[in-house]
Amino acid sequence: MASTKTCFVTVGATASFHDLVKGVLSPSFLKALQSHSYTDLIVQYGVDGKQTFDLAVKAAGSSGIQISGFELEKAGLGKYMRLAKGSGKEAQEGVVISHAGSGSILDALRQQIPIIVVPNATLLDNHQVELAEALAEQEYVVHGRLENLAKALEDAERLRERQKEWPPANSGVHRQAKAVGLRGILDEEMGFLD
Amino acid sequence: MAPHLSFPIALVYIIILLIPLLTLRLLAILPPNRPPPAKRKRGTPTRLLIVLGSGGHTAEMLAMLRNAEASGLRWKDYTHRTWVVSSGDSVSADRAKGFETEVAANCSGSRVKDHALGISLMDSPEKPRAGEDVVGSYDIAILPRARRIHQSLLTTPISALYCLYHCFRILSSLPASQYPDLILANGPATATILILASLILRFFDIRGASKRGTMRTVYVESWARVNRLSLSGKLLVRVVDRFLVQWPGLEGVGGRGEFLGVLV
Repeated sequence: MASTKTCFVTVGATASFHDLVKGVLSPSFLKALQSHSYTDLIVQYGVDGKQTFDLAVKAAGSSGIQISGFELEKAGLGKYMRLAKGSGKEAQEGVVISHAGSGSILDALRQQIPIIVVPNATLLDNHQVELAEALAEQEYVVHGRLENLAKALEDAERLRERQKEWPPANSGVHRQAKAVGLRGILDEEMGFLD
Repeated sequence: MAPHLSFPIALVYIIILLIPLLTLRLLAILPPNRPPPAKRKRGTPTRLLIVLGSGGHTAEMLAMLRNAEASGLRWKDYTHRTWVVSSGDSVSADRAKGFETEVAANCSGSRVKDHALGISLMDSPEKPRAGEDVVGSYDIAILPRARRIHQSLLTTPISALYCLYHCFRILSSLPASQYPDLILANGPATATILILASLILRFFDIRGASKRGTMRTVYVESWARVNRLSLSGKLLVRVVDRFLVQWPGLEGVGGRGEFLGVLV
C-alpha cells in the first residue's frame, strides 16, 4: 500500500488569509502536490475562511488528493504538525505551509518539518515579509509566494535534504542567549542580589 | 498700587513655567535617569506582570519564559504572577493556566495557587498551609482590547482610552506596596497602554508608584521583527527600562536595543 504524505496548511488563528486558502486549492497547486507524491491536504482555514474553502474545494473537483479542512483548533496544531511530519514507513514526511506568524513557524522549526512561509500582505505594515526573507536567507524556511506556490513546493523538497536544527545550537551568540538571556534581564530588573 | 494682571495672561505665565518642570519630572522617571532597581533578596514576595496577546505574542512569550526557565530562572523567586489577557482571548488565558500547571509539575509535589481574579476583584493571597510547598501564586487579569486586528487607526484612540482606564484599575487596585515589581511585554497594543498607565502613575507618584523598584518594565520586541520595530516597539523604545531585540540588525535601536540572540 502506498504511504501517505501530508501537506498541512495553516492561516493562523487571528487574521483571515483567503488568498492562501484559494492558492492551495487551485488546480495547478493540486497538480504539483500530486507530482510530489502527496496524498493528503489538510487546510486550517481560519476565522472566516469556511466559505472560501468550500467554494474552492468544489471548484477543484476530483484531484486524487484527500482534502479536508477545519476552522480553528483550540488545543493547538501539534496533532496536524505531526501528521505532516510523518511517522516513517507508512507516512512520509510532508510539508507545512504557513502564514508568516512566529508561533506557527516556531512550531514547524522545532519539529523539523520543511516549512513554506507565505506572508499575508494585508496585515498592518506587512512586516511578515521580513521574517520570511530573513529565515529563508538563513535556509530555515522556504519563502513562498502566492503567485507560484508550486515552485515553493519544489523548493521545500530541496530544503528537506538540508533541514537545519532549531534552535541553532552552535552559534556563539545563541549559546550566550541560553546562558544569560531573558533570565538575566529579569533577575537584574528585580534587583536580586547575586 | 500694583498693576492688575489679567487672568488669561497669568495662566499663560503659569503654563510656561510648568512646561520645564513637567519635562524635568518626565525625564527623571524615564531611562537613563531612572535610578537602578533597589537590591532585593530572593524569596521576598515579588509580583511579575506578564502581558499576553493574540496571535504569536502569547506563543512567543511562553516560549521565551520556558527558555528562561531552562537557563536557570526560578519561579520561586517570582512569587506572584499576574497574566494580563485581552478580553475575548480565551486561548491565551488557557495557555497561561497550562503554563502555570507546568511550572508546578516541574517542581515535583508542588501546587500552584490559582487566584482567577477579574479586574474588579481583589483578594489577598491566602497563607500556605503548613507543609504545603507552593511555587508562588498567579491570577489572570482581563483587559478590554486597545485595538482589534484591522481596526482603523482613526478609531483606535477611543478604544485605547477605554483600555487605559482599566489598566489603572489593574495596576493600582491593590495597596501601593503591591504594584507589580516588573512588567514583561512583547508587543501587543494592550501592553503599550498598560506601560503608559504605569508611567502616568509613576509621574504623579500615586500612592508611592515612583519608587525605584516599582513597575520596572522589560519589553522584548517580537521575533517576527527583523529590520524594523513594531508600532509598540517604536512607542516604547525610549520609555521602558530594558528593551530587547532578537535580530542583530536591530541591536542598538533607539540608542538602547539589547541583542542577546533569539529568545524564543
